[in-house]
Amino acid sequence: MSTRTPRPRTLRLALIASTAGALALTACSGGGGFDSGSGGGQTQAAAKGPVTITFMITSNGPADVKLQQDVVSGWEKKTGNKVNVVAASDINQQLTQGFAAGSPPDLFFTDANVFPTYAKAGNLVAYGDQVTAKDDFYPGLVKTFTYDGKFYCAPKDSSNLALVVNTDMWKAAGLTDADVPKTWADLETVAKKLTQGDRKGLVIGDTRDRIGAFMKQAGGWIVNDDQTQMTANSDANLTALKEVQKLLQSGSTAFPKGVDSGWGGEAFGKGRAAMTIEGNWIKGALKSDYPNVKYAAYELPAGPAGKGTLSFTQCYGVASASKNQAAAIDLVNYLETDAPSLQLAKGLGVIPPLKSAEAGYKAEFPDDNGFLAGSSYAQGPVTVAGMDPVLKDFDSQIGSLQTGDPKAMLDRLQKNGEAVLK
Amino acid sequence: MSRTTSARAGETRSGWLFVTPVVVILGLFLVAPILMAFWVSLSDWAGRGSPLSGAVTFVGGQNYTDLLGQDSLARSDFATSIRNNFYYVLLVVPLQTVLALGLALLLNQRRLKGLSFFRTSYYFPTVTSSVAIGSVFLFLFAGSGSVNALLKLVGVSGPNWFADPRGLLHLLLGAVGVGNGDEQGPAALTDHGFLSLSWWDWLAGPSVAMITIIALVIWVSAGAYMLMFLAALQNIPAEVFEAAAIDGASTWRRTVSVTIPLLRPTLFTVLTLGLIGTWQVFDQIYVMSKGNPSKTTLTPAYLAYDSSINQGAWGQGTAISFVLFAIILVMTGIQSWILRDRDKPRRRLGRAQRGGAGTGGDVGGYLATAGRQQR
Amino acid sequence: MSQTTSRTTPYGDPQDAGPAATRAAAPPPDEAKRRVGKIVGYVLLTLFALVYLFPFVIQVGTSFKTDPDATNSPLNPIPSAFTTQAYQQLFQQDFGLWFTNSVIVAVVVTAGRVFFDSLAGYALARLRFRGRQAISLGIIATMAVPGVVLLIPKFLIIKQLGIYDTYAGMIVPLLADAAGVFIMKQFFETIPVSLEEAAKLDGAGIFRTFWSVVLPVARPALITITILSFQSSWNELPHFLVSRQSPDLNTLTTGVAGLLTGALGAGNRYPLKLAAAVLMTIPVAVLFFVFQKRIIGGSLEGAVKE
Repeated sequence: MSTRTPRPRTLRLALIASTAGALALTACSGGGGFDSGSGGGQTQAAAKGPVTITFMITSNGPADVKLQQDVVSGWEKKTGNKVNVVAASDINQQLTQGFAAGSPPDLFFTDANVFPTYAKAGNLVAYGDQVTAKDDFYPGLVKTFTYDGKFYCAPKDSSNLALVVNTDMWKAAGLTDADVPKTWADLETVAKKLTQGDRKGLVIGDTRDRIGAFMKQAGGWIVNDDQTQMTANSDANLTALKEVQKLLQSGSTAFPKGVDSGWGGEAFGKGRAAMTIEGNWIKGALKSDYPNVKYAAYELPAGPAGKGTLSFTQCYGVASASKNQAAAIDLVNYLETDAPSLQLAKGLGVIPPLKSAEAGYKAEFPDDNGFLAGSSYAQGPVTVAGMDPVLKDFDSQIGSLQTGDPKAMLDRLQKNGEAVLK
Repeated sequence: MSRTTSARAGETRSGWLFVTPVVVILGLFLVAPILMAFWVSLSDWAGRGSPLSGAVTFVGGQNYTDLLGQDSLARSDFATSIRNNFYYVLLVVPLQTVLALGLALLLNQRRLKGLSFFRTSYYFPTVTSSVAIGSVFLFLFAGSGSVNALLKLVGVSGPNWFADPRGLLHLLLGAVGVGNGDEQGPAALTDHGFLSLSWWDWLAGPSVAMITIIALVIWVSAGAYMLMFLAALQNIPAEVFEAAAIDGASTWRRTVSVTIPLLRPTLFTVLTLGLIGTWQVFDQIYVMSKGNPSKTTLTPAYLAYDSSINQGAWGQGTAISFVLFAIILVMTGIQSWILRDRDKPRRRLGRAQRGGAGTGGDVGGYLATAGRQQR
Repeated sequence: MSQTTSRTTPYGDPQDAGPAATRAAAPPPDEAKRRVGKIVGYVLLTLFALVYLFPFVIQVGTSFKTDPDATNSPLNPIPSAFTTQAYQQLFQQDFGLWFTNSVIVAVVVTAGRVFFDSLAGYALARLRFRGRQAISLGIIATMAVPGVVLLIPKFLIIKQLGIYDTYAGMIVPLLADAAGVFIMKQFFETIPVSLEEAAKLDGAGIFRTFWSVVLPVARPALITITILSFQSSWNELPHFLVSRQSPDLNTLTTGVAGLLTGALGAGNRYPLKLAAAVLMTIPVAVLFFVFQKRIIGGSLEGAVKE
């Protein structure tokens, strides 16, 4: 600090200036102000000239981000626009704050779980019908991203759950291809056989996104077909939860936390699980984190009511507050052509959303039949606005399924869900 | 104009000028938010654009009735968070106070070798960030972490700390044969309840996962409060003890009947700060558990954040904040009434005997804790 | 570490064993008993020191381990194979950027707080003007508002002002704090008025008196505020969660918190997380050890309580 003392008058001015400066900082317009809260879903005027699009993605690491950048670079060259790919650390939080601040990213991955909430609040542009490839999408995916009769956003890809097996442990336990579980009873048997020391035969995620597969196999599901009624407290669902409880209590099965892991893939990679139930994303994770683990993926075993699995998907959401909607939709159109969608699918190990890309995908991943097999009967996520907290609450209950009361959990889900559907 | 009036005018001008920056900043970011939040908690703003725009309508006490009025998921979540935080406060405040006082008394011995080393080691966690400490404790209490390894050495197989939603009281009650030590309690308690939680759930106690967070917080904050007790101990005039020593009272007796009563004002401060801080636990929850497992580490502060930011229920989130504010006020009020000085009319916290140039023991301590808990 | 010297003990008599020796009223303790008490006191102190230091030892040790080594021998702080892999991985991520942001924010906030807090503290301590009492009370009242309660509303205000997701939004709200004003006010009240009188007679204006006469005397308090401001802004988490969202503005706290609770596939990479914790602790630790006399000693000097 200098001790030179300027004249009082100048100092006083300096002081006023510094306060005013602090205020000026706060007064510059940055998307705040008093904008009207309307405008759900209508398209804004397009910006002129080359634009920069902010594209927020979720990633499992730097490799995913690089892949996304490589894929969009083709479009950048074609149009002269720029794309700024941002990897989110907590995409829900970042989008919510962005929407509230009036400055969300132009384009972003939107999970099927939260899609209806965003659509209902008017944060998304319903651009689905403007997508060139819209008739080439799998119908199930289009249904997932339709809200209030409007097809909102183009599906990015999909994945199905499969039974992922560590082939070395499988052989070491004296099991062969003939032992791949076809029924719940088979699953119990092999899980028991594969359990050894601090290694569990089977590790499954403790959320409805994994346990739900058992519900389907028992002939149940959380809501009815057109999602107008809760069907959570059905006997079928109770059968499913009791089966999972039985597995857990037998000691052959654990939730990831029980083997000190964040998710099934990690338990599997670390060798704490001989089998896990995960989707296609496990391939990329194993490749990057646990390259030495040898595995195979099989169709999930059937339950008392037949086969059942879950499919997961995300779409490319375009923000209704975005100034660059036209360019963003153009970028989606580019991404929804065969070459880029295959390039992404290959890199991430997911299934492209386009029927026309299926042949190319199968040729690329001959071993993925276990994941693909479920495509024809997989159950998509529940897409009801406001249902997310209810489902999360159910997840928090599942965590204590080993000792808890499955009936009470389902009743609670039923009750909370009915309050949302009212 | 006489000289004095012009000087006076100058002082007024400068006075206002000097306080303006602070007043503006505090006003903008402490006072205005309260007003804004109050409006949001009474509106149906859903997180698009400005809460002050014409599209947002006034819904009265709707958000509050959702939270407290009728049976709903929002209400059961809120009740759960209050329950968790209540048990957290119940354990953290007394334990950290006792630990801090104990450490201060130990350090206050005569001719203690290594005083500064000991003092520094106990105080050090206070200056480190909650995020860094959180990461260390995540490792210590992991299923295959240090604590379980230590327990294994003595032949105990430790729990999977962060994944264990079982309540401590449930476990204890189960041990003496009430309920089955877990989810299902006796029907008398499970069939009735309050605020969407059965009495049995209210009686769960802190979950095993919450215990780890409780341990962390006690470990961290005891150092700051220890320093406050130490400062107070050193302000006790020596004559006070001479009388007691002449009476031949033992060290223990002297501590209990002379020292601790003299520490009353500091004790009051420590308990008040502890109470205010513990009702707002957020950082540790955000870093370590996000409310899991089974919502047993959900606290009102985290729930308010989560409802607003992750679920877009802004009205509800701000309503939770206000209810939490009310809880803190009431709790602090009750506590100061219980601990009020019945002997003396003077309710001021003991003024220091020495008006030396100091940053102030309590203020220093306050800041040390403020640094971690509130802004 | 320095030894603190010449402490006055409150105990009049020489027999001190701390509260360790639990005994009812007894005859005056003899030499042997006193020694036992002393030993018990030291044992307890050492035990607690272990409880307090061991986590940090494990933290540093584990950060130089490989992932499997970390989970296989969690109690042994010595790596079986020393590796700096975790640190390399950190810098492949945006750790450098987070660090830079934390430095920028902490430095600007500290400078702002020291200046604004001491200005206001001086005015409230020394200048007579109408409304002074009201402002003092108002500032103290803001200290009673729980910070966490204001999280969401603060976001709304920052957004309304149009500084959301900018350095301004992260810094400006932290530029003044009530506790700091209050500490400065307390300190200025202890400075003899004669100093200022002399300056006034020389014809110095109010600001000049404050700047060149009062501030230099207030050095101890300024250092205290500097340390506290730096520490609190460096360790701040919730405010940076609600005042920004873009990854470019991540500070160490938000960035590392993201590492800890990261998305799918983050897994339990303990060495990485602990290395991050080590690095973010270093600056405050250095500050702490350089100024520890001031931090700890400061609060042990004559306590001015309110």
